Amino acid sequence: MLLIQIILVAILIGAIYMTWKRSKEQAIGFREAVLWTILWVTAAMIILLPQTTTTIANILGVGRGVDVILYASVILLFIALFRLHVIVERLERKLTDIVRAEALRDIK
Amino acid sequence: MAIIPAFQEAGRIKNTIEAVKPYVNRVIVVDDGSTDTTFIEAIQSDVTVLRHMVNRGQGAALRTGTEAALRLGAECIIHIDADGQHDPSFIPSIIEPLKKGEAEIVFGSRFLGITSANMPFMRRMVLKAAKTFNTLLMGIPRHVTDPQSGMRAMTAAAARRLNFRQDRMAHCSEILRLTTRGAYKWCEIPVRIHYSSESLAKGQKSSDALVIVWQLFLGIFAD
Repeated sequence: MLLIQIILVAILIGAIYMTWKRSKEQAIGFREAVLWTILWVTAAMIILLPQTTTTIANILGVGRGVDVILYASVILLFIALFRLHVIVERLERKLTDIVRAEALRDIK
Repeated sequence: MAIIPAFQEAGRIKNTIEAVKPYVNRVIVVDDGSTDTTFIEAIQSDVTVLRHMVNRGQGAALRTGTEAALRLGAECIIHIDADGQHDPSFIPSIIEPLKKGEAEIVFGSRFLGITSANMPFMRRMVLKAAKTFNTLLMGIPRHVTDPQSGMRAMTAAAARRLNFRQDRMAHCSEILRLTTRGAYKWCEIPVRIHYSSESLAKGQKSSDALVIVWQLFLGIFAD
């Protein structure tokens, strides 16, 4: 086993531990904890068995396994970024509602 | 009643208020969180002045002003810019279709015969592009001549129904879409816009067109 694999897997085990600790503290919900665990376990699998990504890559028609991960990461990041934008927009609208209510307070 | 949203309009707001006053029963100025003396100058003019604690954008200010006008029992509501771009002498002609019952919402258009003073070439081109965008993606009819009309008038009943949520520049397109696709009687009348170096410096830039597209797109998901 390569040193980088050991380090990364150790970090992921830590991440799983933290996820369930937070879930126990009820900082995150059970469903969320399961989702995070799936993500961490998948990452650990890819690190320990890198050839699995090559198999997926070949099925999808992409050359190398690393490329599949890269493409998937970019797509996921874009989705996450867009979601953030929408959340900010909703917050902005709530802020406007508050500011408006305050501005109209003296109008009957 | 006229609604004037104002953000950093010190030095201009007074003139605009005085110019609008003769044409309406009441003027409502919404100071949109200005950090200059806009608010002080506005309250000196003996009109109703509301204040946003923080800047929320022109669309938000118009909505605040419109709600205030409805609470104060307005029959007709006119939206007009604070920077003096819109010529208040067109107010009687913009509310005429409302009074006659020919329309519930009237838009002032820059492209109906009256040539706007000093409209830059770039602005003309961007407005052409905006018109195409409005038709293709927003479903606003092609016969709407002005895609970013800021001067408009509406009846109280129409204002009560018109639920525009875009806080910033995108409210123009949003209001056009809601109006032309909703069950409203509407029309356009020609108005003149004065482009001065001041209003151009502070007003919309051509690149804002892209920001507007983005805001409209985000708005779909934020509802």
